[in-house]
Amino acid sequence: MCLTCARHLAGVLILALAGCATAPPPPELTSENTSAALPRKVELDAVPYFPQEDFQCGPSALAMVLNHAGVSTDPEALKPEVYLPEREGSLQVEMAATVRRHGRVAYLLEPALGDILEEVARGTPVVVLQNLVLDWYPVWHYAVVIGYDLERKEIILRSGREQRQTLSFITFQNTWARSEHWAMVAVPPERVPATAQEARYVAAVNALGKTGKLQEARAAYQAAAVRWPQSLGVQIGLGNVAYLLKRLDEAEQVFRRAVDGHPDSVAALNNLAQTLSDLGRDEEALGYVQKAVALGGPLQDIARATQADIERKLKR
Amino acid sequence: MISFNSGFMRWTSRVMMVLMASMAMPMTASAQMVGTEAVIDHAAAEQSRAKILSLVNRDEVRAQLEARGVSMEQAKARVDALTDEEALQVAAQIDQLPAGGDILGTAVFVFIILLVTDILGYTKVFPFTRSIR
Repeated sequence: MCLTCARHLAGVLILALAGCATAPPPPELTSENTSAALPRKVELDAVPYFPQEDFQCGPSALAMVLNHAGVSTDPEALKPEVYLPEREGSLQVEMAATVRRHGRVAYLLEPALGDILEEVARGTPVVVLQNLVLDWYPVWHYAVVIGYDLERKEIILRSGREQRQTLSFITFQNTWARSEHWAMVAVPPERVPATAQEARYVAAVNALGKTGKLQEARAAYQAAAVRWPQSLGVQIGLGNVAYLLKRLDEAEQVFRRAVDGHPDSVAALNNLAQTLSDLGRDEEALGYVQKAVALGGPLQDIARATQADIERKLKR
Repeated sequence: MISFNSGFMRWTSRVMMVLMASMAMPMTASAQMVGTEAVIDHAAAEQSRAKILSLVNRDEVRAQLEARGVSMEQAKARVDALTDEEALQVAAQIDQLPAGGDILGTAVFVFIILLVTDILGYTKVFPFTRSIR
């Protein structure tokens, strides 16, 4: 086991965790209170194993989940992206950012062991951050959950120099709780994680788009639109990405659907109007933007600016 | 008959220059799109507002507020008027309080009462409330 991995991140993390020590522990997970639909035993043998070099649990954990998600890479290649030599470790935000740089969605799970098990049961390995020692002497460590056994109450990990480590649920809960239950999946865009929640998932895909991975973000929103057909966030996200990709006809279609389903959404009305204006249909755009301005609210300034633009174009 | 004198030609070329310049401008320079984050944040804030309202609506809270002369209409109107940011902040605070199943935890109960009285200007407990008075 790698006892010194990321030890020097301690100072940073302790600051972030200060004041949270009194949070009540999550209820203990037993075979009774997990979803009845979960298989009793799962192990994802196909997740590749990259043994960790000194302190580099971050790159090696990432390499395992990224390869599983179809990205050919190894810890050595990931090291410059995620590893901070002076801290001998990797920060969580960098872990997520690296997943996005490789065109995959980085989704942080809810702090529930049941969610980790469900992801694994659906075939997705989960990166977790553990504190292997104690709060006052933290030893941070990234590992990958690849399986579990409900009868034996064990979780199965690829961890450090161990290709297959088993930990009791209780030990795992204790070490994982000290990282505030940090758990992340890296999934291909067309695959929405089993436990994903709408708003959090849209935020994760939005972050992928901001990284410049617009095609991947588009695919991820399309998958999300199947899971949550009514979601305004998904529709606005998909429309915005289509717009940035200069697929204006597609953006128009998506924003129209958003306006139909959410007639009081200033965002949907405004963005439809702007798209129509870019398509040279300012007369049509004006009606939508007027509705948007009339609705008021915090986005009214943007709608007013859109309206002014459209009116200027119409006067020419 | 229009005579193509030099003044007219100069005028035309100036108009053309302006037109061409505006055509050459990148599409996004003038675009006023609402970003996806604004929609996500707003959706989260709506959820928070609903959560706060559901707490304010509980019988024990209502009774306490009415005993202090605060009408439910006033209380609800003020929760609705919280900005997205404030609603998120309040809901996050509530989440951090110990709660106990069906029975409203004492901490949450006191928090909600003080939140509403803060907003109405009777108290000033929280840094993030703006009184309506």
